[in-house]
Amino acid sequence: MALGTLLGALAAASAAGDEDVDVRALARVAAPPLGLPAVPVPADNPLTAAKVALGRKLFFDRRLSHNRTMSCAMCHIPEQGFTNNEVATPVGVRGRSLPRNAPTTYNVAYQRSMFHDARDTSLENQIFGPLLSPDEMANPSVGFLLETIAGAPDYAGLFEAAFGGPVDVIKLGQALASYQRTVLSGNSPFDRWHFGGESDAVPDAARRGYALFTGKAGCVACHALGERDALFTDHGLHNTGIGYVLVAGRAERKDAVKVELMPGVVVPMKLKRGSGGGARREKDLGRMGITDDPRDLYAFKTPSLRNVALTAPYMHDGSLRTLADVVRFYRDGGTPNPALDPLIRPLDLDDDEVAALVAFLESLTGDDVDELTADARSVAVGN
Amino acid sequence: MQNVLSKARTTIGALILSLVGHGAPVVADETCQSPYMTPIKGQEEFVYVWTLGMDGVGDESDKLVTIDVRPDSETYGKVISTYSVGGQHEAHHSGLSDDRRTLWAGTLDDSQLYLFDIATDPAKPRLKKHITDFVEASGGATGPHTVFALPGRVLITATSNNRDHGGRSALVEYTNDGDYVATYWIPTPDNMQGATGKEFADGYNYDVRVLPRKNIMLTSSWTGWSNYMRDSNEVLQDAEAMKRWGNSMTIWNLHTRQPLKVLQVPGAPLEVRWALGEDHNYAFTHASLTSKLWLIYQDDKGEWQAKDVLTVGDPENPTFPGSIVITNDDRYLWWQGIADGTTRLIDVSDPFHPKEIYKKKIGAQINMGSSSWDGSRIYFTSSALSKWDRDDEQAEQFLRAYTWDGKELKQSFSVDFVAEGLGRAHQMRFGAHSLYSDVQTAQR
Ligand code: HEC
Ligand code: HEC
Repeated sequence: MALGTLLGALAAASAAGDEDVDVRALARVAAPPLGLPAVPVPADNPLTAAKVALGRKLFFDRRLSHNRTMSCAMCHIPEQGFTNNEVATPVGVRGRSLPRNAPTTYNVAYQRSMFHDARDTSLENQIFGPLLSPDEMANPSVGFLLETIAGAPDYAGLFEAAFGGPVDVIKLGQALASYQRTVLSGNSPFDRWHFGGESDAVPDAARRGYALFTGKAGCVACHALGERDALFTDHGLHNTGIGYVLVAGRAERKDAVKVELMPGVVVPMKLKRGSGGGARREKDLGRMGITDDPRDLYAFKTPSLRNVALTAPYMHDGSLRTLADVVRFYRDGGTPNPALDPLIRPLDLDDDEVAALVAFLESLTGDDVDELTADARSVAVGN
Repeated sequence: MQNVLSKARTTIGALILSLVGHGAPVVADETCQSPYMTPIKGQEEFVYVWTLGMDGVGDESDKLVTIDVRPDSETYGKVISTYSVGGQHEAHHSGLSDDRRTLWAGTLDDSQLYLFDIATDPAKPRLKKHITDFVEASGGATGPHTVFALPGRVLITATSNNRDHGGRSALVEYTNDGDYVATYWIPTPDNMQGATGKEFADGYNYDVRVLPRKNIMLTSSWTGWSNYMRDSNEVLQDAEAMKRWGNSMTIWNLHTRQPLKVLQVPGAPLEVRWALGEDHNYAFTHASLTSKLWLIYQDDKGEWQAKDVLTVGDPENPTFPGSIVITNDDRYLWWQGIADGTTRLIDVSDPFHPKEIYKKKIGAQINMGSSSWDGSRIYFTSSALSKWDRDDEQAEQFLRAYTWDGKELKQSFSVDFVAEGLGRAHQMRFGAHSLYSDVQTAQR
């Protein structure tokens, strides 16, 4: 973004929130934290403080759902890594089940496609998935949603100030995208060591982990790094076998499952017959569900690994609970299945090396996490 | 905010102290209600059932169902009134104001509060106020559950919050007219508010009951919206979600509403039932996940402690108790198992060594039990939660009335809530004309 535009944006008063917060948010985008590349901003949606403030307000507004219980932030919770750490897969309006884990929205500005199966193209477009899905925010129609916003007194004038006109589908997407684009997190211990030359910024184990990550463990082939910055993703989709595990495990609806009711108390429990609304966590074909191309079977998007220590549980279905579980999953060669990505194979890693990889992953947490949470919570939750 | 809070505290404190001083009325379902409320000691006339709307049943909406239980009435055992509130909101618990003129019915999903006038015509409750801004007013508490009467006020346990839909929540106080007074958050490890027991604190909430003569309030803990609203199949198979059940109870100063001590009570301790006897300074709760009965008591040094005193049923096959009812002599406790549809009578006359002495299967699944003051009549309902109820060929929704003669439960009538087009029967409260007679009013 050109400096002139940015200054103009800074000057534009933010109608909806704490102005300092918006100024800092724009500054983050203008000069991203160490380790992050320049932020791609679409030409037709330049960032302004007013849009960021409005987008933030919308993101935390539960009125954006049919029965006023769900905001975007109820599944992308700032204090829980902008995902939900308390469930493998989040829960939508009226308790409806979702089949997939909520990806973090940290650094989502850099994602070239949206969702685990890359089915959408931009942050601007993505919002209609959750807003209109009956399992997520369940707005019965676009008109219903727009009327809710237009009719809320606390939104009076905000779209006009940010966009020069009343709320519509385009502006709604642009506002939400603008806020999300500013949630940048970098300058992690890893960045300060690797890109900043601070030799003692990370522990020894993390350095050994990095050597493994880029060496014999082969992680970097998909979780890519650049010369001056790193997003830890190739923006591609791969079959690691996670999708296949779930299908294998759930192929037959079992009569009873083992449930850990309390630490150490495991009992067999009978399942109900129905799904109680929403989708079950089973049979997820991944990218093939979009393309119908058998080569895309069980292929899911490579996530960025930034702030990954904060975003448990892991994988598209939240089936792995800890980073150590993830690394052991790779060590064991993923889950063999006919379309397994050839890069996924059993790795010769001892326990020490597993721990080193985990230490490396833990060094990827940005230094502005508290600032981003405070930024997020600078706006009151809309009820 | 701070000002509002402290002002509220002083007023309530004064109210409570004055009642304590003058010998509060005896605690009364009717034995499990607030001590600030007149119990129906004779024949209850109506049972109000807060009922969840069910897909494919009637208007599919949550409703207050009134059942006539006057033994000599032509409509005995029949539904005589329904009030549909429109839509499904996860109706759950309801509670009465101290003057028993208002039945407050809350919804766990979208945090509505429906205030029904049950005094003008106890046979036909009418909606007199609908509170839609509970979340906004309380500062972010969601999922109102227990409504507990204090003098001129009600204390509502919330079960979740508007920031993450997890289990951290609060107690919210209203006036009898439905005006918001104050919010008291349950202590969390990073905000203990002066209470001890940080290692056990989870901030979760479920039920509240008080022991005025000790100036003590006791709350229990459940889970958040993301678990209770979600399909049980999904929750049970989500290891992350299974870590999010309450493991704590909190002892509070009733007068100041300050938390004093967090006790470790694992396994989602739900209903709180104080013994009624004047020197019985103890309460029971049921840990729903472990099927254990817990005793909360004062030790020799006057410290509040929690101890599990009985595992009910087969631990490999938990009963998942949904409710407990204590008898007015503190000798027995009825234990309702959601999983086995069975009620069990537990002899708790020695509170440290309770034993099960009787059981009876009531239906495929039961959740709530409510007994008359003298224990001779007891009513059971079927529904736990809309997404946790059984859905197999044996699934049923009902209210079943029984008599208890000290040896045997005998069914007096049963109302099929599906056949009647009503929905999922959850929680019950009793009504009677006698409560509003002049004599009663004068006595109070
Ligand atoms: C009920 C939970 C829920 C709500 C509410 C919700 N999301 Fe999500 N979000 C998810 C899940 C689950 C996914 C992944 C879905 C998939 O891959 O099919 C997701 C994916 C995303 C992504 C894609 C990220 C990526 O890396 O691909 C973005 C961006 C996002 N959500 C933003 C939002 C916004 C903005 C809102 C509000 C308008 C919102 N979400 C509301 C659960 C939710
Ligand atoms: C073939 C490409 C590929 C390779 C090689 C690879 N990954 Fe991944 N990684 C993925 C994909 C795709 C996912 C998402 C899978 C899913 O959602 O089911 C993923 C997910 C993860 C996650 C979970 C992130 C989250 O937010 O859920 C972690 C952590 C991770 N990988 C670490 C590693 C490590 C460490 C290595 C090396 C041992 C590695 N990966 C090797 C493609 C790869």
